[in-house]
Amino acid sequence: MGGPALVVIDTASQARHTAETVLDQAADLLSNLESRYSRYRPGSLVSQINERSGSGVYTDLDTEAGALFELAGQLWKESDGLFDITSGPLRYAWDFQLAGKASPSKIDQVLDLVGFSSIEWREKSCHLPKAGMEVDLGGIAKEYAVDRTIELLRNAGVTSGLVELAGDVAVIGAQGDETPWSIGIQDPSTPDALCSVSLVNAALATSGNYARTVTHDGKKYGHLLDPRSGWPVSGPDSVSVIDSQCLTAGAIATVGCLKQRDAAVNWLRDSDLPWLLYDVGTQPIGPIAELLSSAI
Amino acid sequence: MAVTNTPLRGLSPASPLMRRLGQSLAVLPAYQGTAALADAPPTFTEVGLRYSRYSEDSLDSEKLIFGSANRYDIDITQLWIEAPVGASWSVALDVQNDYQSGASPWFVGAQADGEPGVIMSGASIQDNRVEVGVTTRYFWADGNAGFAISHSDEDDYEATALAFDVSWNSADNSRTWSTALSSSHDNVRPTQGVIPVFIEEDGLDTQSAHFGVSQILSRTAVARIGLNYTYSEGYLSDPYKLRDARPDTHERLALSLGYRRFLPDFDASLQADYRYYADSWGIDSHTLELGWAQNLSSSLLTPYVRYYSQRQADFFNVVSDTSTTHHADDYRLSSYGAVTLGARWSILLSEQWTLELEAERYETSQSSGLYSGEKAPALVDFWRGTIALIWRFE
Repeated sequence: MGGPALVVIDTASQARHTAETVLDQAADLLSNLESRYSRYRPGSLVSQINERSGSGVYTDLDTEAGALFELAGQLWKESDGLFDITSGPLRYAWDFQLAGKASPSKIDQVLDLVGFSSIEWREKSCHLPKAGMEVDLGGIAKEYAVDRTIELLRNAGVTSGLVELAGDVAVIGAQGDETPWSIGIQDPSTPDALCSVSLVNAALATSGNYARTVTHDGKKYGHLLDPRSGWPVSGPDSVSVIDSQCLTAGAIATVGCLKQRDAAVNWLRDSDLPWLLYDVGTQPIGPIAELLSSAI
Repeated sequence: MAVTNTPLRGLSPASPLMRRLGQSLAVLPAYQGTAALADAPPTFTEVGLRYSRYSEDSLDSEKLIFGSANRYDIDITQLWIEAPVGASWSVALDVQNDYQSGASPWFVGAQADGEPGVIMSGASIQDNRVEVGVTTRYFWADGNAGFAISHSDEDDYEATALAFDVSWNSADNSRTWSTALSSSHDNVRPTQGVIPVFIEEDGLDTQSAHFGVSQILSRTAVARIGLNYTYSEGYLSDPYKLRDARPDTHERLALSLGYRRFLPDFDASLQADYRYYADSWGIDSHTLELGWAQNLSSSLLTPYVRYYSQRQADFFNVVSDTSTTHHADDYRLSSYGAVTLGARWSILLSEQWTLELEAERYETSQSSGLYSGEKAPALVDFWRGTIALIWRFE
């Protein structure tokens, strides 16, 4: 799902051979989830839905996929349409891989292929009605994979462990020496950590709009796009959220990054979770920033 | 580099936004533990109206010596409202009305052929009971506590009860402890005239304590265990039965076990519950219930089967032995077995409206019981049907 995976089990409380078996199982689980939800994997559930766009053929969703789509729908509703798993085609108008290349003239053309509300449902099967429509579970699938891996570790009796998938982290218990896990929040403008948070039985997800940019008419834009207008959003550079589960932390952080700064702050406050909002060149704000021991 | 001073632990946010998002995930095993255990008031106001009809089969004419063979029918109407109050409280009001009519066994005597037969209360008894209860509940991150008061009033019986309960979760949210204490005072003033009664007024005090633990075993399984102790002192006989003299204290102990397992391949969960009960009157009983909760497209269908068997009370005889201090011929104190077959169907009509239907058939016999004992002639079979409409809104 587009990034490195790190699984740590504290072997002080775990027989080494058991830990190795659990790590193998975690690797299998992650590979399994990637083969279901990655849009880059031919044959994945997501690829299947995308390949069938406009064909009239519905794709069955099992309980798990159904719940992830339902969450996507709930986020679409809660974010007034900003979070939209069908916004993928917009990338044809904004090529962030080749920094600098933008074709806003294509926006109107691809906007027609975007819209969560146009997904067609029959019981537990779905269909994208126009050829070229796509779904992408970015902002959900990776975070869900973190939670599933944590669950696997817990079920195997692990009492001290950590799972990280490309910046999204969840921890079980404290470290083996009973000190909390110390997790760095990446500074989007430098390779260094912005700050570090102490976690016990919690998850931290960060969403950023700074790493990939595109310049158009002399103005620099972040890679997150507003599916309603087709233009990049001018949201915060980085939002981090802590929850007991990575999926909900990630969802709140992703939507936070899609909103304008003031609206993002209201959204994060509504979540009632610890959060940190950072714009490069300013002081980070939010409940996590208030807990930091020294000024940054 | 700046670091947070205090470690941030697993959180159970109380915000409506997070609860709305959590509801989407509640069907996923990975979130069932935490979703179920997150302690927060309901996000919505719930208003419900439920009607149940309980209808006992008529007494077999071969077992009737005198009186009406028509046994009880009860119409139960319940209205409730539960609403969140601020971020940490909820309050619930529950009003229930029971209207019962029919005849009940007065005493058991011998028929001409020597077989025991039932003398019914004769004219149909009609009674109306109204119960009003208020519960307030406080929620914090790791648990919740509730306080309830209720009052029930009918022509010949009045009861007031207070209850307090607390439940709290372990740090990793995998275990929930719960405890409850309740106390009630009842006052009985039997209606004079329909059949002879021998008391004018009497009272009954009951205290009860419960302790339970629920443990998440895996991402798909939950088990629970509970222990309940109840002590009653006062008038415990049935004033409308001729030969009924029960002890004036009653101690009851019940151990309950439950297991729920979600089966993703079937999109259903298996529910198994067992209860062992023993009391100071010599009764002990076993109850085993198995249910299958099947998710359908927008409903949940739960067929279930329940088996019950009890050993008779020390002072029970098919024909009451009035030479002993304590005696009774009430079929409910006899040895018997009972099988219930039923199904619950909860249908989501829209985001705000839910329809609940339930029907069950209860059949009892002495031969299906685990314990020996003479067969009481008045053992009862009944139907019960329920329809409820629930409206939830924010």
